[in-house]
Amino acid sequence: MTEQPISIMVVDDHPIWRDGVARDLAERGFEVRATAGDAASAVRIARTVRPDVVLMDLNLGEESGVEATRKITGELTDTRVLVLSASGEHNDVLEAVKAGASGYLVKSASAEELVAAVRRTWAGDAVFNAGLAGLVLGEYRRMASGPEESGAPKLTDRETEVLRLVAKGLTARQIADRLVLSHRTVENHVQSTLRKLQLHNRVELARYAIEHGLDGEPD
Amino acid sequence: MTRRVRLPGDRYRGPVTKDPAAPLWLSAVLLRIITLIFAIGVVVNHQGEYAHTGLAYATVGGMAVWTVVTSVYYLRDTGKAVWFIFVDLLVCVIAMAMSRLVLTHEQLTVLAVPLVPTVWVTAVVAVGAVRAGLSGGTLFGMVVAVANYAVRGYVDTDLTRDMVLLVAIGAVLGLAATTSRQSAERLAKALRVEAATAERERLARTIHDSVLQVLARVRKRGREVGGEAAELAEEAGRQEVALRALVSAAPLESAEDGTADLRPRLQVLATDRFQVSVPPTAVTMPASAAGELAYLVREALENVDRHAGLGARAWVLLEDLGDEVVLSIRDDGVGIPAGRISAAEHEGRMGIARSIRGRVSDLGGTITLETAPDLGTEWEIRVPARRAAR
Repeated sequence: MTEQPISIMVVDDHPIWRDGVARDLAERGFEVRATAGDAASAVRIARTVRPDVVLMDLNLGEESGVEATRKITGELTDTRVLVLSASGEHNDVLEAVKAGASGYLVKSASAEELVAAVRRTWAGDAVFNAGLAGLVLGEYRRMASGPEESGAPKLTDRETEVLRLVAKGLTARQIADRLVLSHRTVENHVQSTLRKLQLHNRVELARYAIEHGLDGEPD
Repeated sequence: MTRRVRLPGDRYRGPVTKDPAAPLWLSAVLLRIITLIFAIGVVVNHQGEYAHTGLAYATVGGMAVWTVVTSVYYLRDTGKAVWFIFVDLLVCVIAMAMSRLVLTHEQLTVLAVPLVPTVWVTAVVAVGAVRAGLSGGTLFGMVVAVANYAVRGYVDTDLTRDMVLLVAIGAVLGLAATTSRQSAERLAKALRVEAATAERERLARTIHDSVLQVLARVRKRGREVGGEAAELAEEAGRQEVALRALVSAAPLESAEDGTADLRPRLQVLATDRFQVSVPPTAVTMPASAAGELAYLVREALENVDRHAGLGARAWVLLEDLGDEVVLSIRDDGVGIPAGRISAAEHEGRMGIARSIRGRVSDLGGTITLETAPDLGTEWEIRVPARRAAR
């Protein structure tokens, strides 16, 4: 970090955890601008403080972190969301990623791993672990088995290859070695798998809204 | 979106105590009332022609009383005793036997005038069927038919036709009663599973909101503090991962059609060193195949524990390609040096590989192993997806 520290917002309904993470990050030179304990106030506060990175728990009581992620990434183009969840509720993680989150880290990750993940998120990279890669692979295959004309995105052979290796626990560095690619290229492939999924998700939501008259047009 | 929370054991008492064949009991009772009216009509029609008209009316009167008694008894909500049903059968047979005194010999044999109870006796066949299913219905039909022969004292086409009809009514109704009880049972089972799942979800939420959060925090802080705290942190971490795997995996039950989702069977194998990645949608296969594959993965992970070296980690990836299910198990341990595979085979270290290979080929699949010194090992199991047409 040079002049300006990366600004953070921590969203978690558990105060012990929320304050612990905020303290850890502040000690390591991040600017923790805000914390929130539920989805609605997370969206409201994010609009005001415009953090670089939101650390988002998914289990937030009434409204889920998935919706908050969708609203925050939809409205604030410069803000990225990193899901930080102990849940292991896998489909929630996939939904959050489809809604716009840049990646997923388990809560049991060490402080060093957390710091690295926040930096990567801020830099625009996708933060993947093996579990998320397995889910994304499966999601693409599920879409591919649907009707041909649905316009669902497809993975290139190379992207599939890279995702499979991520799902088998290889690091980007190891994947680059094995496939004889640059580290950067591997990162780009991973990122692109996420971006296509998110784009498709937004298109689908918009189509659904128009078909069901939810697009905000006055009657 | 509102979610209804059900308390297990609350709403589901219904199907258990109330006989699902209750509508059939009502039909049996109605049948007896309608046939009684018919029997009265027949007696009125033949009065004066009988050997003993008075006795005919007495019999019909007895039948009417018995109709009231049985109607009350069968429409009660409590169980129907077997002894009462045999008494019912006996009463019907006696009513038929009374015809030998009521009807003249000519009426009984040549004129083929109906017996006093006429079709009223079919009601008891229905009762047997509703109470005891196919066998009960058939038995009661036979008994009434035999009584019919005995009272008439001869065998002819008409009486045999009556027998066929009686037995058929008993069999068909009995089958219907059995079927309706079975489907009610299935419904009750489905409701129980649903309640158990809801309860499981509630527990998972509670555990997630409390224990897991604290364990995650202990693990993280302990590691940073170091020393003995770090050891405690490791222990907390192991418990955290195990608990999370337990509460997040779907129940392991097989579905009604004998298929099962392979994912939860693998997810419970996750620990702090073993990570399990699965697709977002169910990977269904015959329950036996799912059990077998889960067993293979467990074996492979135990092998990692034994041979891959201290602290080796492993990743399990499950992929559903539609026509094929692919399972990869990779570890980052010491691997097997190139020249060592045959030696390892002798040491029994590859014995496990052989047994895995045998099991995989039983499932019609293939297995490949990639290994190199210090690059760990990677198993890939491919099994054709033999799933019921959906």
